[in-house]
Amino acid sequence: MITLHHCPQTRSMRVLWLLEELGVPFQVSPHAFDKTLRSPDYLSVSPAGRVPSIEMHGETYFESGAIMEILCERFPERGLGRLPGDPDRPDWLVWLHFAETITQHSAALTQQHVAIYEDAMRSPIVMKLEAARLKKCYAAIEGRLSTPVENRDYLLTSGFSAADIAVGQAVYLARFFATLDDFPETAKWYERLSERPAFKAALPGPDQGIYTKDFYPPWEV
Amino acid sequence: MTPILHHVPGARSFRILWLLQEMGITPEIKEWKIQDGSMRSPEFLCKSPAGRIPALEIDGEVIYESGAITEYLCETRPEHGLGRAPGDPERIPFLEAMHYAETIGHLIAGLNLQWIFLRNPEDRSDTVVKIEARRLAATLAPINEILSGQDHILASGFSAADTMYGFTLTAAGRYVRLEQFPNIQAYNARMAERPAHIAARKLDGERNFPGKDFYEVGA
Repeated sequence: MITLHHCPQTRSMRVLWLLEELGVPFQVSPHAFDKTLRSPDYLSVSPAGRVPSIEMHGETYFESGAIMEILCERFPERGLGRLPGDPDRPDWLVWLHFAETITQHSAALTQQHVAIYEDAMRSPIVMKLEAARLKKCYAAIEGRLSTPVENRDYLLTSGFSAADIAVGQAVYLARFFATLDDFPETAKWYERLSERPAFKAALPGPDQGIYTKDFYPPWEV
Repeated sequence: MTPILHHVPGARSFRILWLLQEMGITPEIKEWKIQDGSMRSPEFLCKSPAGRIPALEIDGEVIYESGAITEYLCETRPEHGLGRAPGDPERIPFLEAMHYAETIGHLIAGLNLQWIFLRNPEDRSDTVVKIEARRLAATLAPINEILSGQDHILASGFSAADTMYGFTLTAAGRYVRLEQFPNIQAYNARMAERPAHIAARKLDGERNFPGKDFYEVGA
């Protein structure tokens, strides 16, 4: 049995989504997104006190990108990875890692808008810069999905993969801070992903999660 | 064809420069500057669509994201023994290193933004830089622990996990006093003695963005 240590609306959502797509048995161990992640019990599972981590066959693994690679290699028959030697392998790796480049900006914005509790400590210029960087990331996705020859339905030429899950979930988080209004192909791709039953199963339940609003605009500088 | 590395001296692309040198490959280096806007030019964006370094042109592909490039180079050049392929007993710690190095790297990037790249220093938030330096220290603690019993990130010896971490663990010293992590300090010194690391430093070039040795709140 696989156990996923999970906080709704965090990076662990991408592992939850992947597990749902893989259709393998697993259980979720829910955590609050707070300092209990630094408790000795949890640090023994995830040494930096972060989610996600998983327990599988008596071992514990951490880092969402690493876990996604591990699961795709463990269950190759589901076809969500592109293993070494596959023609789409380089692109699969690029987009899997790129998901984390996107999410570092969402994490900085979550800190600015949600985690910091005194307004005087917030920094409007950081909010503005980080939201602008998210749009640069959207532009990279938009370019990928609108090639001159034909538009792609998914990030890889060979179709849906864990790269869409990683980047799709990164966009799920980024949308709290930057809209997809100027990125029509990205918006269509995201809508396609969000219709997947496995995506819906990974969404937070009522009153779960860390965001209380649908959108956090940057403050006036 | 000689591979082309898109590079900023003293930045994350050093990871790839060092790894290539460990593999005996000397790339042609195309140097970019973070603050002159050139990384937003169409010329650069067609190589690295989000305008980031490193990007590597090799084998007829353009690959970006240092973790992706590192995995790709190890898989396509297994004769150097620097990767841990699927099925290897160290596959999992290898993959964790590929990603965790960036978790640390992003914390440093956030601090770089606050300390180095904000045009107006008054926009810097003392609260954020304090929190982020503390979080950075928390991510270093497990690495210091690993290095208490072994000389490299992986128990079996030198690998691309070291080239991923090398630059990051040195750069962390700008925001966290590394004296509290003696194993990391000793490791950094050990890595800097490797011939490929020395050669990569020579190729790295003069740093073209500002920087101090250490940044302290209130100093």
